[in-house]
Amino acid sequence: MNKKSLPSFITVIDIGTHKTTALTAQVIDGRARMLGFSERRTDGVVKGTVIDVEKLHASVHEVVNDLERVSQRAVEQIYVSIAGPSVEGERVKGICIVPAHDGRITKLDYQQAIDSAKRLEPPAGRITLLHMRQPSILDNKPVGNPVGQQGRRLEVSFWRITMEEGNVRFRVSMANGMSITVRDFILASHAAACAVTTDSEKQGGVCVIDIGAGTTDWVLYFKGHILCSGSIAVGGEHITNDLSIALRISRETAEDLKLRFASGLHRDQDVNQTIWKDGDKSVGDQQFNRGTITQVSSLRYQEILSFVRKDIIIQLEQIFSGHEVKLDQNFLPSGVILTGGSANLADAAEATQNVFGLSARVGIPKFDNSSLQKSEYAGVVGMMIAALEDAPPVVRRQKGFMDILRDLFRF
Amino acid sequence: MSTTPSILLVGLGGAGCGMVSRIAANLPPVVRVALIDTDASVLNTTAGQEVFQIGRPLTRGMGTAGEIAVGQAAVEADEPTLRRLFTGYSLVVLVTGLGGGMGSGGAAPLANIALDVGATVLSFATIPFSHEGERRKRQATEALEKLAVKSHGLVVVENDLLALQVAADASLSAAFSAADEWIAGSLRALASVFTPGALVPVDPAALKTILEKPGSPTLFSYGVGQGSGAALIAAKAACDSSLAHGPGAITKVGSLFVQVTGGLNMSATDAFEAVSIIRKKFGGEKTTLLGACVKPELGDRVEVAVLGASLPVPKPATKTKKGAKGADSNQPVFVFATEESIRRGIFSNTPLTFRDGADIDVPTYIRKSVRLTPAS
Repeated sequence: MNKKSLPSFITVIDIGTHKTTALTAQVIDGRARMLGFSERRTDGVVKGTVIDVEKLHASVHEVVNDLERVSQRAVEQIYVSIAGPSVEGERVKGICIVPAHDGRITKLDYQQAIDSAKRLEPPAGRITLLHMRQPSILDNKPVGNPVGQQGRRLEVSFWRITMEEGNVRFRVSMANGMSITVRDFILASHAAACAVTTDSEKQGGVCVIDIGAGTTDWVLYFKGHILCSGSIAVGGEHITNDLSIALRISRETAEDLKLRFASGLHRDQDVNQTIWKDGDKSVGDQQFNRGTITQVSSLRYQEILSFVRKDIIIQLEQIFSGHEVKLDQNFLPSGVILTGGSANLADAAEATQNVFGLSARVGIPKFDNSSLQKSEYAGVVGMMIAALEDAPPVVRRQKGFMDILRDLFRF
Repeated sequence: MSTTPSILLVGLGGAGCGMVSRIAANLPPVVRVALIDTDASVLNTTAGQEVFQIGRPLTRGMGTAGEIAVGQAAVEADEPTLRRLFTGYSLVVLVTGLGGGMGSGGAAPLANIALDVGATVLSFATIPFSHEGERRKRQATEALEKLAVKSHGLVVVENDLLALQVAADASLSAAFSAADEWIAGSLRALASVFTPGALVPVDPAALKTILEKPGSPTLFSYGVGQGSGAALIAAKAACDSSLAHGPGAITKVGSLFVQVTGGLNMSATDAFEAVSIIRKKFGGEKTTLLGACVKPELGDRVEVAVLGASLPVPKPATKTKKGAKGADSNQPVFVFATEESIRRGIFSNTPLTFRDGADIDVPTYIRKSVRLTPAS
């Protein structure tokens, strides 16, 4: 692995449907010291899909300017998050039949298997962004580092992340427009997981679900590696929309009521509990039944979670075809961890427990700065952690990122 | 007021004929009823009303089999007859169920004929349940856009939304009859005010001042109250009715027509108080027309019906919706509360997100037909 020397400054940008966050840190002795943080509302993105390029440009530009102002440093290189329905994960495999008489695997054999896996072309119109290492399998048994071990058939697999060409092109050109180079892409759900899980949790098996405003991204770790990941174009904004339709109120009022009263569970005591929109009983104040709010929000929330559960099961069936795998506490001892803005919904963890039948909790990112210790900042904080590691499990592809750029723009 | 009918109530297609014939018995004499369909068997079951079987050479007395083209051709083929039917009425109320062939295909051309002869056209259209399938839904949406520009007032009744107001375990037939009952109630309330001898009678021609031009976004709502303060309860129910709301529905209108019907106990004060609630909610700065009527058989029940229209949009809403990309996006446009905007809200103009054959941008509670806890 060609581990690059780390820059002494790292800037990460997480572009979400609702808000764009950016963080600059200085790296001292392998630890990140925060220099500046900036946050802005994102315009032009709906359900994780860019609908207005100019508006999005403007909001990202604003975030970067703001960040440069607070951190007193020009941004040169950035790590950009990738998330949403245009991101797809797929398992790719490379095989090496061990040539040595004694069956001992050499570095070259291992590299050969890796190369054959990475050589696989992505589907037309898509670009491979990341290869995330999965456990190697030697004669049907998972092994750590296979070099030096004995066996006949070595299988190396990666979770390959691809994205629509236009989306990649757009992100890169946006950065170039600000004279910034994109150093690399980071899978947003993986980043969130880096911020809220420990290595031992990933080793045992854990699922991290990042419920943002427009999309829900999830990633599942098994034996310390990413087993699979996915994304659904539904998020917290759908809860707001459902409430505004059900209660016939504006989107803003619905958002406000969601933050104050919505819940992942519908409880009997909520019914007939009257709540006020403003609470000061002034002209224009409205009263609502809390039961209606929790009913609408819990239906949507649990549906989002059940979609994720269904997708996970489909992926597991493909990966472990032939073997029966149950999505239970034995398979995922560390259960489900929720991140993202919509993880703050009341009873979010309880609702997740109900849907998955697994233990669940809301993940708070581990970071020195206390203002970022909120589940909605798991993405940006985790990107910083992932950028610091910038090594396995995020293995760089053979082709450098600049080569991809060159391919894209033919210069 | 003359005793010759001045309002024509038209039921079009199977659903429209069904609804109209069910309420026909209770209508005041100023209302003439006509049922129009291609299907002889539908017209036969509606005993006692004036029926017009159209498009006989096209369908040989059968239904349209869901074909829009057939419905449209049937109306066009019998245009002279229909033109004679509409002539002389100041108000034509067209009731139809969209989604099938007759309603979807025939409604817009029929409304056009009525417009042509100088009548004010008020259309009631139901949008099929989601259970009825994608094709009917699509046909209904397309027909709605066409009908909107041909009607002075267009009231859209979402069957899905109505279904949410019946019990969760109600059968499909109960859901259908609830939809019927809602329209029937509204029409009865609206029609009763034109009865001579009403407390505050209204000339049907005066509706023209409310619904000035075809294609203006229409507000319609209906509420019922009972017991003490029934008029106020009914007015509040009309304010909160799901028909007057939904994102995209207009909330403030320039002209308003409020109609209060109640039992013997209802006083004019009650009626005026109800009107002031409605006005507070919906506006009506330009014109407010009040109609009140006493019906002994209502007892202590009071029904309130609200009809309003804002100024016509400069362009038909159908066009602004389709060409939204090219148009100035900063300019606020009135959009009809179409089936799509009611069900998808802020995601109205975004691509559909399909999963397991359903559009998951539509609220979960609507897709799962969960009955919400009523507002306290």
